[in-house]
Amino acid sequence: MYGRTTLRILSSRATFHYRSVERFYCAARPGPHYCRGPAMTCPKETSYAVLGCRETYFWHSHGFHDFRYQAYEDRTSVIEEPLDPFSLVSDELSAIAKRLRLMVVAEVPKLALATECFFRMGAQGKSFRAAVLLLMSKALPMPLPQMTADGVFICLKELDARHKCIAETAEMIYVAGRLHDNVLDDAETNCVMGSLNSVMGNKLSVLAGDFLLSRAFVALANLKNTEVISLLAIVVEHLVSGETMQMTTSLEQRRSMEYYLQKTFYKTASLFANSCKAIAFLAGQTAEVELLAYNYGRNLGMAYQLIDDVLDFTGSSSSLGKGSLSDINKNIVTAPILFAMEEYPQLREVVDRGFGNRSDVELALDYLHKSRGLDRTRELAAEYADEAVKAIEALPQSDDEDVIKSRRALVNLTGRVITGTK
Amino acid sequence: MVGVSRDSIAQLVLGQFLVDILLLHAQRYQVHQEKTSADEEPLDPFSLVSDELSVIANRLRSMVVAEVPKLAQAAEYFFKIGVEGKRFRPTVLLLMAKALYMPIPQPTVDGVFSSLKKELDLRQQRIAEITEMIHVASLLHDDVLDDAETRRGIGSLNMVMGNKLSVLAGDFLLSRACVALAKLKNTEVVSLLATVVEHLVNGETMQMTTSFEQRRSMEYYLQKTFYKTASLIANSCKAIALLAGQTAEVALLAYNYGRNLGMAYQLIDDVLDFTGTSSSLGKGSLSDIKQNIVTAPILFAMEEYPQLREVVDRGFGNRSDVDLALDYLFKSKGLERTRELAAEHADEAVKAIEALPHSDDEDVIKSRRALVDLTREVMTRTK
Repeated sequence: MYGRTTLRILSSRATFHYRSVERFYCAARPGPHYCRGPAMTCPKETSYAVLGCRETYFWHSHGFHDFRYQAYEDRTSVIEEPLDPFSLVSDELSAIAKRLRLMVVAEVPKLALATECFFRMGAQGKSFRAAVLLLMSKALPMPLPQMTADGVFICLKELDARHKCIAETAEMIYVAGRLHDNVLDDAETNCVMGSLNSVMGNKLSVLAGDFLLSRAFVALANLKNTEVISLLAIVVEHLVSGETMQMTTSLEQRRSMEYYLQKTFYKTASLFANSCKAIAFLAGQTAEVELLAYNYGRNLGMAYQLIDDVLDFTGSSSSLGKGSLSDINKNIVTAPILFAMEEYPQLREVVDRGFGNRSDVELALDYLHKSRGLDRTRELAAEYADEAVKAIEALPQSDDEDVIKSRRALVNLTGRVITGTK
Repeated sequence: MVGVSRDSIAQLVLGQFLVDILLLHAQRYQVHQEKTSADEEPLDPFSLVSDELSVIANRLRSMVVAEVPKLAQAAEYFFKIGVEGKRFRPTVLLLMAKALYMPIPQPTVDGVFSSLKKELDLRQQRIAEITEMIHVASLLHDDVLDDAETRRGIGSLNMVMGNKLSVLAGDFLLSRACVALAKLKNTEVVSLLATVVEHLVNGETMQMTTSFEQRRSMEYYLQKTFYKTASLIANSCKAIALLAGQTAEVALLAYNYGRNLGMAYQLIDDVLDFTGTSSSLGKGSLSDIKQNIVTAPILFAMEEYPQLREVVDRGFGNRSDVDLALDYLFKSKGLERTRELAAEHADEAVKAIEALPHSDDEDVIKSRRALVDLTREVMTRTK
């Protein structure tokens, strides 16, 4: 089986992704990942014969995301149809987007334009969070009919509705966070329809965000589950903390990878992590499964943001929906620059100066592209993605077709995140 | 007994509806006082709960501590000593908690019994804290939306630390309030406070997005006032009642007290915005009209002077329009009628307290008197 996999990897749709990932791991950083003994019992003779020395890295490397991804595909797919994870939940996704749009339009027509921007189906990455949560809800092992704290039996259909509610709520919280982040933000084209602020003004941004937060809170209250309320409330706190961290850094903090990763967790990963955990909690899963769901969300979120930060340097307007280099233009230091700074200490001065003028920006970009900053960021993202896949693999065995499909989809999503095709 | 007094007073003052209403409220207040106080010492409602208020103030300060320093600075801003405001809402809630205290009439081991009471007190105190956090969060956002410069006698947070940080701090306080709420493990209470948050946003939205017709409508104004002010007090009073294990009827009475007190409070606030002074309100007077917000006095005045409508529609944009509107206002009975309306609400609030199930407990009786006193204070305050 592993031989077949190898051949497929080498000969398959030789996309940039596969090739470049290969390249990364040739010059792989030493680290705990690669020190661990091989966890799989692959026939070494085969591997050497087929691949040669260089590629042995990926046989032995526990953390090679791509291999794990492919191996998972093999184990779980009978028919090898290409899987579009969004297709599994596309009906629910459009229902959610529609419901949210209608809710806003019905209650506060003036805010309709504001939120239209964010709830449009197909706008890049906008319904990504809801998709992850819906898939997670389907990927968990079937719970036994059970009593909740309120002494109510939750039947599966009701559980489904409750999960959809979490997905909706998470989406509302995300959009509210974006709206509030945009207060006084100077982003020129922050969303496809033009910057919210230039169209509507600061005040309606604040109001629209408040509106969504309050509705999210009401929806959560209706679930009659206080643990879930806690989890999502913590997400709001983290979003705010993350944004504040981004706004108010000292010089030292700006140079710190640790600070950046903490901020990234707060701003992006926490939403994924805690809402996945909420999904698991509502489904009456064990604490272990909850933790796995949390870990999937957390690692997916981290990978997502890291690649986002890469694409900010390499992507184009049309693919991201926002102008590239927006981070550096807003004087925000992200992972690629931080990695580059390790290789080129001269870059530190430029960073400290604050990218205020054009020539500093050019200089920084120069160093960045000379360095391995972008590559190393992609590697780090791949590590996180790998951890996410591991979490899915560790879920309790299930023979249900839908469960299997959804888990594949979740794994597939990690692949998409890494390639930046969300 | 009541009839005789009312007749005699009505004989003294010749059939002025205004005086009648005001006196009715005063009568009801006096009757209540007579019924309930053995010795008629003047009662300061705030003093009855001053200990708990300091405990709450301290807890609040610790509850809004954030990891991120700038965020902590912003969140703590209105919880610092000296800037907590009048602490009106926590006072109402603590008094309501005491007023509704119903000891279980059965023999229990003393230790268990007193720990039960203490637990209940703590949860009710939490409601007071949560309510205050939600209230401050809404103030922070309101100040951004209104471009306010001062609040509670100091610079507003948006002036001092910027719009964005104010918005974020408001969100932070709200999220902390939610977490604290979830810890109470009472889903009905959570729903009540969630409704409050929804109403606060509704109120602010109504204020920001009115059409011309809506601006001239008393009904719209009253609905907005309920959302912005009364709902918080009403629903948190109801939450207090629920946590005290009271029946739905009693919970409704608590709700009605809160609702009517809140409405009276805001109506008088709107009057004071025209008649109060800068130093007493903690914010500049005429702030409503300057922000182009139409309140009850103007709405009443518009009924008497239809010419005022055009001025209102024009939007108080310039100084002369403002002066013109004020001119009409002071000529009209707008301010008086607003006070009358406030008195009606205050009266309803007192009725709700009177309808509470009888109790012989000294503390309960005192607290109920204090709640009635509060209605009077709301009516007669100058700040």
